[in-house]
Amino acid sequence: MALIKDQQLSISHAVTPDVRFIDWLNNSPTQGDSVLTNGEDDLPSLLASANKLAMIAIEFGTFADGRGFSMARMLRRDGYQGEIRAVGDVAMDRIDFMQRVGFNAFELRDDQDAAQALTKLGEVSVHFQPSADGKGPAYMT
Amino acid sequence: MYAYNQFDQTLVDQRVDQYRDQTHRYLAGEIPEDEFRVLRLMNGLYIQRLAPMLRVAIPYGLMKSEQLRVLAQISRTYDKGYGHFTTRQNMQFNWPTLESVPDILADLAKVQMHAIQTSGACIRNTTTDPFAGVSADEIEDTRPWCELIRQWSTLHPEFAYLPRKFKIAVSGSSSDRAASQVHDIGLHLYRNEAGEMGFEVLVGGGLGRTPVIGKTVRQFLEPQELLSYLDAVLRVYNLNGRRDNKYKARIKILVNAVGINAFAEMVEAEWQLIKGKELRLPDAEIERVKGFFKAPDYLSTEYAALTESDLEGAFAEHPQFATWYRQNTRDHKQPGYRIVIVGLKNQLQAPGDVSHQQMDGIAALADEFSFAELRSTHDQNLVLADVAQRDLLSLWLKLQGLGMARANVGTLTDMINCPGLDFCSLANAETLILSRQINETFDDMDYQYELGEIQLKISGCINACGHHHVGHIGILGVEKGGKQVYQFSLGGSASNDASLGKILGRSIDQDQVVVVLGKILDVYVQLRETDETFLKLVRRVGFAPFKERVYGTHQRSAA
Repeated sequence: MALIKDQQLSISHAVTPDVRFIDWLNNSPTQGDSVLTNGEDDLPSLLASANKLAMIAIEFGTFADGRGFSMARMLRRDGYQGEIRAVGDVAMDRIDFMQRVGFNAFELRDDQDAAQALTKLGEVSVHFQPSADGKGPAYMT
Repeated sequence: MYAYNQFDQTLVDQRVDQYRDQTHRYLAGEIPEDEFRVLRLMNGLYIQRLAPMLRVAIPYGLMKSEQLRVLAQISRTYDKGYGHFTTRQNMQFNWPTLESVPDILADLAKVQMHAIQTSGACIRNTTTDPFAGVSADEIEDTRPWCELIRQWSTLHPEFAYLPRKFKIAVSGSSSDRAASQVHDIGLHLYRNEAGEMGFEVLVGGGLGRTPVIGKTVRQFLEPQELLSYLDAVLRVYNLNGRRDNKYKARIKILVNAVGINAFAEMVEAEWQLIKGKELRLPDAEIERVKGFFKAPDYLSTEYAALTESDLEGAFAEHPQFATWYRQNTRDHKQPGYRIVIVGLKNQLQAPGDVSHQQMDGIAALADEFSFAELRSTHDQNLVLADVAQRDLLSLWLKLQGLGMARANVGTLTDMINCPGLDFCSLANAETLILSRQINETFDDMDYQYELGEIQLKISGCINACGHHHVGHIGILGVEKGGKQVYQFSLGGSASNDASLGKILGRSIDQDQVVVVLGKILDVYVQLRETDETFLKLVRRVGFAPFKERVYGTHQRSAA
């Protein structure tokens, strides 16, 4: 499974965690852990404990589930600095928007060409609204 | 009107390239069908019963004449020489090929148009009053605010995969001509008691399977915080709207499930975190956008206006002109000017349809008489917003030449009609045959004038694109046992007094629709008091006399 991280094809990186957020929270959470979460988890709890986490992998059960976009946006808004990795049904046609809302790593679906996917980041280079990437229209800068 | 700068143009051009690549990869088998479906929908492309359908965005219904000419050209080059205006002020082409869509989008981009977010589970084209900026009863011009919403919502990265589609309508007059109470968000621009301009925000209105009138979620919103507040509503919806059942995924279901007060609290909590920050609109930006919507260079009143006696003279010489003036023009806030509604409801074309010759013709009339701009309306007509009174007679004569001078605006035959089973893959029943039958049966215009204002709205399925729930008379096509039958409802309205029509009784066979409609109108004519509109009468007398007239005989004979 190819991984794009920080706008590059990543060769060596941490594996995607298989510990679910709720299990981690209920079993002595430790600084520097990584968890797997999705739109079903309690978002206020995630936001409250995010500063302990080195990586938050947000799972897209189907590509149409857009909750992960708001989750990443809110994590970054709260100042979360760790890795936010998109996992599950992740394809090149959505990673530009994902990057804009705050994801910095993308575990691509098996059928995806990673080199081609890289070209999709920033495919539309101008933006009408601010997002986690800090880029917005002229009047906001 | 708003003109693209380099920033806007870059976005639209890059979006065309992006979609071209997506189409190419789909045709090469590299994008799965269900995934491409979502990508093409975000670019307005449906696959209909007979062919793809492309919906082109007309932001808040405002167009330049050169843009309409390009729509005409597209209809000639890629389609069958006509287009269709929808209730959301957009234009649909019914016959393009999937392969040609990137080229169509490239042609559109050259005149600052696109099809971005005209479908799909995202924020759709924002709609407004077609008389914005010119209506005599206007409180505040909605167009700058619509443009600000257009920009904020276009390719919003967070809200592209919402639970379901999301529609925003803005009204800024004492009469709501934007159906704002039946939108996911309705915005009412008004002045509060302190004289400050702001928005009342309604949320959770909508039609479809579960028709609901929107509820006030915020009584007064400072305009500088419009985008932050919308952002908060959308975030709450994106995170909490149902995703398990697409028929229960609209924001209205969420609002009804948690209650408007709890929903307002959720929005308020989120809004408190983001208000006053990066989404707050600087006054300079608001003024910049307002600058695009300044009044055109009107002629002086003495030059633009007709004297009362000149007007009476023209009426005497051309009685049909007098009728058209009364039915199809409206008061303008600029003395000496009229708003002209160019009806798309003649006897030969489907409601909202317009041929390429007509598009070119109207574009030329806009150039000659209305500052090269025109608007599309919620009820599927066009508007020339700034016509000097002295030009009205010439304009009317030229509209006659285009077959577009039928003086039926606001009457029974000025109906809203979805395309129905003739085109749409969702439809259960034909609707266009009904508009033909209604036009054939009720062809006496004097009878229509005598009936006065009647809003007839026809949908070919429960999705309610024809807005039948809010028609004074609504007709819904359904399929029963392999047969197309039609359900009448009465008493709906999408105006200030918004209400949902109630079903009259059991469904009617297709060949009986005009008969039943005639009976309903008969009851109205018999029972009405002086100056009582159809809607008022229904509200006063209730359903009993209509039921008796429509079903009474049948029930007796069955007994």
